[in-house]
Amino acid sequence: MNTPLRSRRLFGASASFLALFSLILTLSPAVRERTWEVPLRWDHWFGFGVWILCYLLAQRFSRRLLSDPDPYLLAGAFFLSGWGLLTVWRLEPTFGARQTVWLAIATLALVFALRYPRNLALLQRYKYLILLSGLLLTALTLILGSNPSGAGPRLWIGGANLYFQPSEPLKLLLVIYLAAYFAGRLPVETFESQRARNLRQILSIPLIIPTAIMTGLSLLILLIQRDLGTASLFLLVYSFILFLATGKRRVLIVTGLVLAFSALIGYFFTEVIQARLQAWLNPWDDPSGRSYQIIQSLLAVANGGVFGRGPGLGAPRLVPVAISDFIFVAMVEETGLIGAVGLLAWIGLLLARGLRAALLAPDRFQRLLAGGLTIYLGLQSLLILGGNLRLLPLTGITLPFVSYGGSSLMTAFLALALLLRIGSDIEEEPAPLSNHRSYTLLAGLFFLGLFTIALGVGWWTIVRGPALLARTDNPRRSIADRYVRRGSLLDRNHQPITVSERQGREYTRLYLYPDLAPIIGYTHPIYGQAGLEATLDNYLRGLQGNPTRLLWWNFLIYGTPPPGLDVRLSLDLSLQRTADRLLGARAGAIVLLNAQSGEILVMASHPTYDPNLLDETGPRLQTDPNAPLLNRAAQGSYPPASFLDPLLIAHFGPDASPSADQRRAFLDQLGLYRAPNLHLPVAQPARHDTLRVSPLQMALAYACLSNRGTLPAGRIVLAVNTPAQGWVILPALDQPRPVLEADKAQQAAEQWQVPDRPFWRVSALSQENRRSFTWLAMGTLPNWQSVPLTLVVLLEESNLPLATWIGETLMHETLRPRLFSQALPNH
Amino acid sequence: MSDILVLVLRLAMAIALYAFLGWALLLLWKDLQERGIALVTRRALPLELLVHQPNSSTTRRAFYQRELLIGRDPTCDISLQDETVSARHARISYHHGQWWLEDLGSTNGTQLNRLRLDTPTVLTSGDEIECGRVALVVSIGIPTDTSPTVRLSNSS
Repeated sequence: MNTPLRSRRLFGASASFLALFSLILTLSPAVRERTWEVPLRWDHWFGFGVWILCYLLAQRFSRRLLSDPDPYLLAGAFFLSGWGLLTVWRLEPTFGARQTVWLAIATLALVFALRYPRNLALLQRYKYLILLSGLLLTALTLILGSNPSGAGPRLWIGGANLYFQPSEPLKLLLVIYLAAYFAGRLPVETFESQRARNLRQILSIPLIIPTAIMTGLSLLILLIQRDLGTASLFLLVYSFILFLATGKRRVLIVTGLVLAFSALIGYFFTEVIQARLQAWLNPWDDPSGRSYQIIQSLLAVANGGVFGRGPGLGAPRLVPVAISDFIFVAMVEETGLIGAVGLLAWIGLLLARGLRAALLAPDRFQRLLAGGLTIYLGLQSLLILGGNLRLLPLTGITLPFVSYGGSSLMTAFLALALLLRIGSDIEEEPAPLSNHRSYTLLAGLFFLGLFTIALGVGWWTIVRGPALLARTDNPRRSIADRYVRRGSLLDRNHQPITVSERQGREYTRLYLYPDLAPIIGYTHPIYGQAGLEATLDNYLRGLQGNPTRLLWWNFLIYGTPPPGLDVRLSLDLSLQRTADRLLGARAGAIVLLNAQSGEILVMASHPTYDPNLLDETGPRLQTDPNAPLLNRAAQGSYPPASFLDPLLIAHFGPDASPSADQRRAFLDQLGLYRAPNLHLPVAQPARHDTLRVSPLQMALAYACLSNRGTLPAGRIVLAVNTPAQGWVILPALDQPRPVLEADKAQQAAEQWQVPDRPFWRVSALSQENRRSFTWLAMGTLPNWQSVPLTLVVLLEESNLPLATWIGETLMHETLRPRLFSQALPNH
Repeated sequence: MSDILVLVLRLAMAIALYAFLGWALLLLWKDLQERGIALVTRRALPLELLVHQPNSSTTRRAFYQRELLIGRDPTCDISLQDETVSARHARISYHHGQWWLEDLGSTNGTQLNRLRLDTPTVLTSGDEIECGRVALVVSIGIPTDTSPTVRLSNSS
């Protein structure tokens, strides 16, 4: 098969991949919002068109100017840059437009460099001029440097939206210089004597000193600029070229030691290096600070999974600088492990062709040049890919051909032009080679590195993926909430409390009954989740209660969980309304529950807040001294003081004086020393001896007086509406426990009966740190013919009459036959 | 509806990616194969040797391969039955566009134009090689038994 046909087919294959990529990107808004009524994305097709033109142009000229150009080098480089270009378009269309212009310019530069200089030996002759001009340009950034983003290291020269980073072409110039120098100075090898020379001869002073000085000079400029990533890349490139030229593995070992040593020094003396190394070694310690980038990067990889979310369907814009340093991660999120392996394989193929060009080069300068360029492309790729996946410390360098950046793309294309030229003259006899080991070892290192990176992607997607995606700092969860209906929260009579409603193109969470905010909580992209929204999240988000197949399918297609399930609570909205009206602006809590089943009918906590306005009030709420976010009924810890006495008397009798141990054992039986177990965040029991209780705990404890001495298991969630089986009851998480003999409970209830009323009432005042609290408990008598009820009121002030009024009014409302039958249809 | 369509497209995209990769690898393999075949069939300039053995007649032989071994061993390309010739005496090989002569550490040495050979040396037509008592005269690039050159018509 002839080469033109071959390269035409390679062009067709890569163009069809990119066309499909563009097509999916066009359709992606429709999938994301699950309707055709959305504007589709078209702008990136411009980039695709320019890419095709550039590719055809480069192919035409390479075939005309070179005798037999390597089709894989050109195909691989254009494939990578096309994929990168479309990814940049997908991430930031304005940068995509700029990168398209850069691609056109870089292609023109490539075509030019295919022809000029006519003879590559010219590069060899003017090696010092070449390197010094590069150094001068880089040194200029020390004076005239700027940063397009306004802050950070000033590595660019330019202005008016056109910036240029001289350290990029400096890489190329350094490689040319080193190749030229070593080619001229290394001892000439004869055809027959291929014995390894001794080290002293090879690393002789004249050989090592000038290159070390020139490399050191470049390093120095980069270090002053604080461009540490590029500096370490330079050091590595230098030692690998030296290794290639001499074939001595010692060179690499020494470089490794130097790098490790300077990292150690830097760790103790430079803040930047310390931060980078810390973020690398212990990223989980500081996920929102120093290691924010790397954690977001890993989350993106995990979200990609095996198949990827599809172009335009992931959320890679969450990763900082996704268009340049982290572009690999953005690609993995949207094409998955499959795409990552394809990309890595192409990088590997490109490097292999580069080394092949080196081996077949007609003279030693061209051989070292091709080898050096391959080293530059390979090492830079491996450094940044490893950094993205936390296999290496993060270095702020670009992925050649792929990342956004004009200077980077231009440099990569010029390197490509040189490789194409060197690789095309293979009909000529290759220059003699004394030792092939260094080339074989280098290829092995590259492939091993790429393989490790593929394994790393597999590790973060398959092994660690599920755990990473469930992290609460994964912003993709709240993005999914915008496009997938979250389950509603209903009261016991199916009245909506909190629903998700489609407003325009996205879902919004509406809290229809804001006074319940401390109990229901909220779900918010910035403030996270609280209350029942947090504890019931798996049902509301559809992760629990849906068939696994449905979960898998939704994740495959949309990358989101399926629509959420509705949850029915035990609360009764009409009674809740009464309770909230009674409590009004006072700070306090009310709990009303069914003493037999433990179902909580009313739970009020005041002061409250409006979760619909969390965007504006959020920061203020967290520091509000009145603590409106706290659910006082379940999370509040109050001193019970004499409020325990009625229960103690009921158990031990009016005159007995139980020992501390007996007392404690009984209170523990009443559940006052442990947190009640129900789908609600509750106060953790105090460890020290001073007992603190929540109104909910007291309500459950007092319920035993109305329930013939049995402590009910608290419930606030009744059922969940599954697609397969309809409403499924969620049983109580605790077991009811008998704590009092039935007749003792009966006696106690009758003792505190309110005259001529069917209920008992006890109350107490307690005080702590000059703060007063009023406790009140009421309950139906054990012989009450209908549903037994217990009620606890707590006020954060000393006001017994108010507590009594609240309690009696609420009890009265609850026991009114008409309302009651409406309120409790199940009984 | 859009979701299924895009799912199919994503599948097609993954297939295209690997088709591209697979295609490239297949072409590389074919390339390797072709190069191998090309190397095998690549022809050197034909070499003709006139062999004078002391107690035997002079023979003329033409060679088309790229490497010849001279020696007493019967597996050698030029097998010389003479006690002054070592088992593997010398090698004539074609590389860098030249025919080279190289002594393989023979007991009695190899002489080229009456000079003892110690490094590989380029051969030209008319050179006289002596392996022990055997003399060989080289002529390069003269096809001996091919048909005369004809002018090809344009139609071919």
